[in-house]
Amino acid sequence: MREITKYYVESGVLANDRVSLEVKDNEIHALIGENGAGKSTLMKILYGLERADSGKILFRGKQVSITSPRDANALGIGMVQQHFRLIPQYTVTENVILGIEPTKRRILLDKGRARREVSAIAKKFSLNIDCSAPVGDLSVGQMQIVEIMKLLYRKASFLILDEPTSVLTRQEIDNLFGILKSFKKQGKTIVLITHKLDEVSEISERVTVLRHGKRVAVRDTSDTNPSELSRLMIGREVALHVERPELARGKPVYRLESITLREKGRNVPLLDRVTIEVHQHEIVGVAGVSGNGLSELEDVASGLRKVTEGHIFHNEEEITNLTSIELREMGLAYVPADRLFRGSSLQSSVTENMIICNHHYFIKRGILNGKKISQFVRELTEKYSIMGEPDVPIGTLSGGNIQKVILARELSSDTDFIIFAEPTWGLDVSSSEFVYRKIIELRSEGAGILLISSNLDEVMALSDTIVVMYKGRVVMYSENKPSLTKELIGEYMLGLRDDFREVQSVKDSRGVQS
Amino acid sequence: MKLGAGRSEFFINFIAILITLSIAFVAVIVLIFLLSSQPIDTIYYFFIGPFTNRYYLGNMLNTSIPLIFTGLGIAIAFKSSVFNLGGEGQVYAAALVTTVICLALPTANGYFGGTLALAGAALTGSFLAGLSGYFRMKWGTDELISSYLLSASIIMVVNYFITGPLNDPTNNLLATKLIGSQYFLLKIMPPSKLDIGIFIAIATAVVAFFFMYHTHAGYEMRMCGLNREFSRYGGIDTARYLILPMLISGLLHGLAGGFIVLGTYHKAIKEFSFGMGWNGIAVALIARNNPLAVIPAAFFFAYLDAGAKAAMLHSDVTFEIAAIVQAIIYYLVTAKVIYRFIRYRKRVINA
Repeated sequence: MREITKYYVESGVLANDRVSLEVKDNEIHALIGENGAGKSTLMKILYGLERADSGKILFRGKQVSITSPRDANALGIGMVQQHFRLIPQYTVTENVILGIEPTKRRILLDKGRARREVSAIAKKFSLNIDCSAPVGDLSVGQMQIVEIMKLLYRKASFLILDEPTSVLTRQEIDNLFGILKSFKKQGKTIVLITHKLDEVSEISERVTVLRHGKRVAVRDTSDTNPSELSRLMIGREVALHVERPELARGKPVYRLESITLREKGRNVPLLDRVTIEVHQHEIVGVAGVSGNGLSELEDVASGLRKVTEGHIFHNEEEITNLTSIELREMGLAYVPADRLFRGSSLQSSVTENMIICNHHYFIKRGILNGKKISQFVRELTEKYSIMGEPDVPIGTLSGGNIQKVILARELSSDTDFIIFAEPTWGLDVSSSEFVYRKIIELRSEGAGILLISSNLDEVMALSDTIVVMYKGRVVMYSENKPSLTKELIGEYMLGLRDDFREVQSVKDSRGVQS
Repeated sequence: MKLGAGRSEFFINFIAILITLSIAFVAVIVLIFLLSSQPIDTIYYFFIGPFTNRYYLGNMLNTSIPLIFTGLGIAIAFKSSVFNLGGEGQVYAAALVTTVICLALPTANGYFGGTLALAGAALTGSFLAGLSGYFRMKWGTDELISSYLLSASIIMVVNYFITGPLNDPTNNLLATKLIGSQYFLLKIMPPSKLDIGIFIAIATAVVAFFFMYHTHAGYEMRMCGLNREFSRYGGIDTARYLILPMLISGLLHGLAGGFIVLGTYHKAIKEFSFGMGWNGIAVALIARNNPLAVIPAAFFFAYLDAGAKAAMLHSDVTFEIAAIVQAIIYYLVTAKVIYRFIRYRKRVINA
């Protein structure tokens, strides 16, 4: 792929900026980068799910035009996407043949042939799977294999796997890698999208690193090491600077105490004994690569998901597993990461979006006081300079303005604790700056802030205390000080370091000082 | 202040509906030319017929009364993203309950007994629809399916009562006895069947509009309908708004059943309310679930009906022509094709 550029007009994100990628025949190639580095976009372009704005694709020396997955399939390119596309009620065989079923006389489904062909694939690649079992009964690892069988059935020779290991257990990963290696022996080419560095060295021969939509390096895996890759992925310089006045932190306002979150059917907990404390005048920034518990932490901290074990306190009052209604009554303010679905109702007007959590103030005997509401909305639109009429659907506003509406709403009531999740994701520079200014302002006013973000620059620029999550655990918990470099934090984020105890003592010693 | 969609949204809706209805009219004309040997006469009676005398006009408005109620019932449920497909059974059962209450109180005061009968009708509808809402809240059963199935079976039960224990043997209709004349609603345009129920229906639509757009519960209900996750995040009791819209929807369907007994038929006749539930869905769709727009939408439906009846009486087409036109409107409205087209055009022009 040469000089691929992709700009998402709706969100204003330049996902790929003249990215080139060369994959050699019959190699396992790792494509790595942080969230939002443009890995998936690049592969979606190759698979025909997205179209590039410019650039070209050369396949086996010839320029090709791929406008749909059908084109890609015809060239032997297949992709397993991050989220499975399987029908749980159908058997393995039925899922594999779906879309290109073998037929008798063009009408009748040839079940016998389907069964034979699918089990032949399983046998050829020694995939240990029961082809007549309904997919819904399989483990996640086996579902992954069914997805791969779909590609093999379509005679794909060039396989793209988008973060295939994110939901797998260690044994399942070993099994998958064994299968991938056997594919290589049979002459297939594989591109593996990942952000797990141990996997890169374990399986790939070459690796391409993307950062902020640009290609920053191509290496032979044997010539590099995880810390170099980590540096390349995350970068050395903190790209962001925010003016943050010196402030002594006050008393604790919010505490997560040994929170564990389990999900049915998963042995590994999503959150594992997470303890985080937020004080007045303090921004606690939680960083991590996605899939390591950040979004679960967001759900739990905001009360939208019940914890399995552990306690949550707000001003020393236990608030564990209260309903969102009760939390709102207590004055919870929360700017969610999913601002288009959870944070707003796109078809509702700006006004309606602004009063979702505080419409109780405008009610007299069950009737909404229209005058008071429009005055309230007018004041906020002016204060936050929101571009958009109060009665237009909020979905017609730009991303930055939608986020401003959410901020205006969440910060309109006096509150001493606010959760910000991915507050600038997808926003343009000026909107991001606005958000940062607001967060700093709240800190000065005395609020405690929990900032959950996969954008490390942001966490480093804003936080007084930095927490790093990896695989649902807190692996680093430290005061934000100059000796804490981006490289070091990056190594924690990517699981290259796990010396929590040492860092914990840093925190403890600070605790004594304050 | 203005809650709900903005002015431009309203305008798009209006134009889209206008186009839909024009297509329906063109379809009528084409059909008449195909089916009738005297097309000009037929067209005249179809379109102008309902307005030629008090009798036709009054009956047309009378037909719209239950449609306003059922249309409102569906509109409120749809606005809240719950689906009440049990309208048929709810109207029918409520009509029976109204009749039974009136028959049980043959000598009561008309206002007292009538109010009681309507309350009974409302409760019946609420109860039937509310059950589906409750099941949804409790066990997550799909209220769309459960309300439909419940309605289909309740129709059988009502049929049994009308043709069995409550049947009037002195009459060869499959119907109950006539209710006391003190319960008859006041006719306002004799000799037509139109009664004061029309004012109550219109007032109900106004109240429903106010409820949806200006009250606490209405706002929360609409927010839940548009985005349940957002509502939960905002601290709204989302479980409550699975059942409340069903209760209200059922109540309105129940009133439809009550008013056709007190106003028009004065007894329960086997299958006499059929179609009112389903047509309520069409009315709500044309009205885009706006309670105020339900009024003209119901008038329009009644107009088609009346036009077909007039054309049938004075010319040589059959009543099915109305059904065909209704089907066309159904398709156009549900497909939302035109609506999307205009939206798209507007975006292109603005961009």
